[in-house]
Amino acid sequence: MVSTEEYGTARRGASERPADPAAADAIVVEDVGRTFAVRRGRAAGEVTALSGVSLRVARGEVHGLLGPNGAGKTTLCRILTTTLEPTTGSARVLGLDVTRQSRAVRRSIGLVFGGDRGLYGRLSARENLWFWCAMYGLRRSALRARTELLLDRVGLLDRADARVDTFSRGMKQRLHLARGLVGDPRVLILDEPTMGMDPVAALDFRALVAELRAEGRTVLLTTHDMAEAAAVCDRVSLIDRGRLLMTEDTDAVGRLLSGYERVVAHGVSAGLARRVGALTGVVAVRHEADRLEAETERPSATARVLGVLAAAGVHQVSTARPDLAEVYLHLVGRRGMGVT
Amino acid sequence: MSLFLAALRLQLRLAPRSPGTLQVWATAPLFTAVFLSIAEHAHRTDLASFSVVAPTLMGQWALTLGIAGEIIAEERNQGTLEAVIATPGRFSVVVVARILAVSLLGVTTMAEAWLVAGLGFGRWIDVPHPVVLAAALLANAAAMAGTASILSSLFVLMPSARIVQNTLTYPLYLLSGVLVPLSALPAWAGAVGRAVFLSWSADLLRAALDGPAVPRPVTRIAVVALLGLSGYLIGALLLSRVLRRVRRLGTLTHT
Repeated sequence: MVSTEEYGTARRGASERPADPAAADAIVVEDVGRTFAVRRGRAAGEVTALSGVSLRVARGEVHGLLGPNGAGKTTLCRILTTTLEPTTGSARVLGLDVTRQSRAVRRSIGLVFGGDRGLYGRLSARENLWFWCAMYGLRRSALRARTELLLDRVGLLDRADARVDTFSRGMKQRLHLARGLVGDPRVLILDEPTMGMDPVAALDFRALVAELRAEGRTVLLTTHDMAEAAAVCDRVSLIDRGRLLMTEDTDAVGRLLSGYERVVAHGVSAGLARRVGALTGVVAVRHEADRLEAETERPSATARVLGVLAAAGVHQVSTARPDLAEVYLHLVGRRGMGVT
Repeated sequence: MSLFLAALRLQLRLAPRSPGTLQVWATAPLFTAVFLSIAEHAHRTDLASFSVVAPTLMGQWALTLGIAGEIIAEERNQGTLEAVIATPGRFSVVVVARILAVSLLGVTTMAEAWLVAGLGFGRWIDVPHPVVLAAALLANAAAMAGTASILSSLFVLMPSARIVQNTLTYPLYLLSGVLVPLSALPAWAGAVGRAVFLSWSADLLRAALDGPAVPRPVTRIAVVALLGLSGYLIGALLLSRVLRRVRRLGTLTHT
């Protein structure tokens, strides 16, 4: 990857402090909270988007921020990219405070959105990148060279002069990533980067993230897709309702997810439901009418549940993995909300 | 390519297909026809230059004011506002360059008005001072961009600022002597009008089309430029404060 410094044209104001090369962690979030004022009719209120969030992301780490819609992922991204100030706490990127040294932070980061938004659809990919390069102080030959380099890197060189609104979702996403890289950032914030992407494009995207990791860049990636996080992240943090539930190695969360299973059966009596609930490894049972839903925390428990149901003559049975929200519930029940 | 030129180029690529631009190109000849008809009816053929300058400045100001708000609204809608704010580039430079691009496009309404006067009314208006005219048009376009950038900060703060935008058009045309010379207005209105760059621009443009000589052209163009620069500086200061405020309030992406 050719760095901006090699082109030698990115301008820095004399008063701007550069990123701290000695900062051990690329991203440090300490007890960050964010509330928003809301007005319903005449009543004024407050909504908490983030509460007491603390997080450290090491240099060169690909970190996943997992959570359902409205969990607070984007709010945290906005704080780290300086477009939103925290109400409480502090956050630093490469040792720079996002509130007090916001301009210097903006030089060190790249922001990548998911979906269709964030690009000028009536312009070509090349024209888009020219503009974004100029936003990072690149000029003339450096600007053009960097644009061509990035277009080539994300595989859009042959469509460089086509209008962006004619692009597929995957192509737009590649352009988003190119835009995020125009400033040659050491830290990249990817907010739902694979939203709406088809599986092939998502796989391509994962390969690009792997390249970024190989270049030593730090990546904070928000997603609600566990499989995506497992494929590209070193560690993941689970966030829900503005609180960080846990931060773990991706493997640990993967094991956690693969351990949990849900068994759904029809034609189950109340007595049989109680017997299932009493089995070892069954962590939750819901029984309505003749429908049973049993959550298990390991595969052997699932086998036991299936055995009991089969022995009782219940044949309408299915199993499924729980979604992320259900895993959250397990985590909250097992470790408490304060675990980080 | 500096950020200023990149933003100018971006807007020049976007603007010609914008409905706002097309609307002004469509209405400028109509305004010219109205003003010329009135002048002809009153047997005041000496006012032909007024009939060309007024629709030019009106169309240009409508375009400029429109884009000052549209930039923010469109950036919000297409999700680019947040991305732009998250870069180290100065947003005030982007805003003023993009407004200037549209303001420069608005200069073409003068050609429309001139053609309407000639083709429609047989009044082919001479241009005895083409250099002054060109310089005045350029200075005026820059001053319009600088002044209109003040409104952009208002749009960042309040997405519903369109009402302010709409109410700023006709009073300004009147107060700045675009429709009638300041000398025809009450003394207090004339004094207020002198503080508006448009009054200087309108006088200069009319003089460049009318008079045997244009008195103090450099000074008058400098006044237009200085008033425009003041507008830009106020706009940049306001934008910086407003951005700080919306970062604190969390309303940057509100539509």
